Amino acid sequence: MSALLEVRNLTKRFAGLVAVQEVSFEIRENEILGLIGPNGAGKSTLVGLVSGTLTPSAGDIRFQSHSIRDLPAYRRARLGIGRTFQIMRPFPGLKVLDNVAVGALFGKGRGESNLERAREEARSCLEFVGLGKHIQNRADELSGPDRKRLELAKALAMKPKLLLLDEVMAGLTHVEIDEVAGVIREVQRQGISILVIEHVIRAIKSLSHRLLVLHPCEKIADGPPDRVLADPAVVEAYLGKRRV
Amino acid sequence: MKPVIHLPLIVVAVVFLGAVPWFGCDVLTQFGINVLLLAVLAQSWNIIGGFTGYPSFGNSVFYGLGSYGVAIAMVQWKWSFGVGLLFGVALAVAFALLLGLPVLRLRGHYFAIATLALGQVMTAIVSNVELAGRNIGLVLPILKNNVLFYELSLIVLAAVTLTVVWLTRSRFGFGLIAIRENEEAAAVMGINTTLYKVLAFTLSGAFTALAGGIHAYWITFLDPESAFDISLNVKMIIMTVFGGSGTVFGPLFGAFLLSGISEMLATEMTSVASLFFGMVIVVAVVLTPRGLVDLTRCIRAQGWRYLSRNIRSHRL
Amino acid sequence: MQLFLQILANGVLLGGLYTLMALGLALVWGVLNIVNLAHGAFIMLGAYACYYLFTLGHIDPFAALPIGAIGLFGIGYATQRCILNLVMRAPIFDTLLITFGLEVVFTYLAQLAFSADFRTINPSYAGANVTVAGITFPLVRIAAFVIALGLTAVMWLLLLRSRLGRAIRATAQNLTAARLYGAEPRHLYAITFGLGAALAGAAGGLYGVVSQINPYIGATLTAKSFAISIIGGLESPLGVIVGGLALGIVESLTALYIGPTFTNVASFGILVLVLIIRPTGLLGRTT
Repeated sequence: MSALLEVRNLTKRFAGLVAVQEVSFEIRENEILGLIGPNGAGKSTLVGLVSGTLTPSAGDIRFQSHSIRDLPAYRRARLGIGRTFQIMRPFPGLKVLDNVAVGALFGKGRGESNLERAREEARSCLEFVGLGKHIQNRADELSGPDRKRLELAKALAMKPKLLLLDEVMAGLTHVEIDEVAGVIREVQRQGISILVIEHVIRAIKSLSHRLLVLHPCEKIADGPPDRVLADPAVVEAYLGKRRV
Repeated sequence: MKPVIHLPLIVVAVVFLGAVPWFGCDVLTQFGINVLLLAVLAQSWNIIGGFTGYPSFGNSVFYGLGSYGVAIAMVQWKWSFGVGLLFGVALAVAFALLLGLPVLRLRGHYFAIATLALGQVMTAIVSNVELAGRNIGLVLPILKNNVLFYELSLIVLAAVTLTVVWLTRSRFGFGLIAIRENEEAAAVMGINTTLYKVLAFTLSGAFTALAGGIHAYWITFLDPESAFDISLNVKMIIMTVFGGSGTVFGPLFGAFLLSGISEMLATEMTSVASLFFGMVIVVAVVLTPRGLVDLTRCIRAQGWRYLSRNIRSHRL
Repeated sequence: MQLFLQILANGVLLGGLYTLMALGLALVWGVLNIVNLAHGAFIMLGAYACYYLFTLGHIDPFAALPIGAIGLFGIGYATQRCILNLVMRAPIFDTLLITFGLEVVFTYLAQLAFSADFRTINPSYAGANVTVAGITFPLVRIAAFVIALGLTAVMWLLLLRSRLGRAIRATAQNLTAARLYGAEPRHLYAITFGLGAALAGAAGGLYGVVSQINPYIGATLTAKSFAISIIGGLESPLGVIVGGLALGIVESLTALYIGPTFTNVASFGILVLVLIIRPTGLLGRTT
């Protein structure tokens, strides 16, 4: 079975600073790939490159066996790539329901053209992430954790095949982290592949089928969580040695 | 305002306003034409500025192109008024498509300044074009029929307002609002932001050009300074913002109210009218930054604290 | 060739004046992120201050410049402290609108007070020239050029070296942090805006000596100041110098080789091109 997303030798330079260096990996159908690494390793840059908000300096990105390297962000969204932003980007003046409805209107394929049906889909997405009570609030009135849920709902409404989650668990309590992890697992069960960037090792370990480690801007490990987390290079670079 | 009310209100307003020339005097009709055309300008600006979030200071270019389109068509080529209007709109559309693309890549006040500069450039270019009568301008054939111009202006106003109503209910309009609220998020959610922005700009320009064309034929005279007058652009912005940018009736409220007051003062002392305008802008931006529509919506719930809340949330 | 050099010289001298005109706008814009559409009105008011000090007070225009500048500083400080501070945290479009409103108010107050007649400031030495290598330099324009560049340098030093300048820049970069360090933003913002107005006032006085003034010159001068600031870039006062000289030279050359009616096409055409191709300006850093 060929991979859903294939990244080959992807490189991104920002005027002399290399953010991502020759990174290659793939994401298969229906799998959760965790992406970890110290801050500044290029994780968010990678998400930007895959979603289309950044253009690569070198390398190729293939989605469903077609190169998407030259496609603008909105075309990739229509093909089925959805993402959340680490620094959240809601539509502040719109109601929560309408925020998500945008995703339903413009997502996969050509989206839904009927406003009412789009709102219906938005409603179910919001229930799914647990924001059912807030659908009539303005987006800028939500609390921090609720905003993260909104980001997730917006991306889900697009009916993506591949979901890129950039630190959705940052700043959440243990209980909230477990809730979000549950939602992510449920999303995967519905057939969607997910790339999860996180610093919460406990959560990402149990969530991911495979782990990818970036440091400083290159891939240094790729494989099942147990093996990766025991890899001495990863321990050295990111996890830190255990004091005996 | 509930969307359900939009259409019936518009129908009632059109019928009521349409009847005005038959019951009022000629002066009222002339005043009406001015106000209706200003309202068209405000509502057109609303499409690109209010809904899409790109404050255009270059809509006066579309106005000028519409005016000159009609003037050149009728004076130099002896075409009819209708064809002249279409020609003016065609010029505006061409301008929006050609220059919209590069200029719409700019954000915020850079976009505003670029469109401002374009206006200056167009004025200067047209002043040097022989076909357009250079500095002196053109004189159009005379048609003394205020009622016709009034009803025509009303029809255009209804058309652009209905377009704005359509924006509030359509996928396209939603896309524009998403672009305004957060352009980067809009792009990753599947919206072709470039296409949508250019379309909004073109739509805005087309209606503005219609207003310019009607105005030119009505006053039978135009020259580059007045056709591309930047103060017109500023008026349409102020009326829209004062009334409520991004709403259906905001620009109309703003246009009617501010024109009415300005007219009343102008009969007393002309410069005082402009002074008044300036002071209204300053006070309105401080106290009611989201316009009259928002004021009427919130004042029932919050009373006068609405005003102080606005100040407190925006002051240094 | 001689003619070309003369036109070039005219352009450079004009550029000096333009630089001073734009400096206040660039300062307020670059540091406070305020787009001041009333900038031209401040220039106009400075011109009238100088005019009346000269015709009624019999003070030499160049001596009147500091007086006018101080007066404009006061107006600018009051404007920022009492009006603009109220919308500093609002979307930037609001400051655009409010400064436009102020522009209208100032213009019409000026028209009521001074009438719409054209005026010039005509000191006895107005026509004096210096001729070097066959090129004529009007003395007044040389003085304007020197003063303009001098004030620019002073401004630069003030911002970069003095305690006040550091306080202003700190407040502009991080309001909360600056407050925690004891800076008083309302006062600092007002001082900065006042400085911008003072520079505009000085430019106005010089403008009145080399050209005609009336209450309506504000709008065009604001537009030109914008063009200069954008063309040169807001990164540093050097950008304003580059922009001012560029505009001055372009206008002079256009007037001669294409036609005087095309100067606006050239200036604003370049502005549009710069915005499209390199929005950070000729000297700005590209992100």
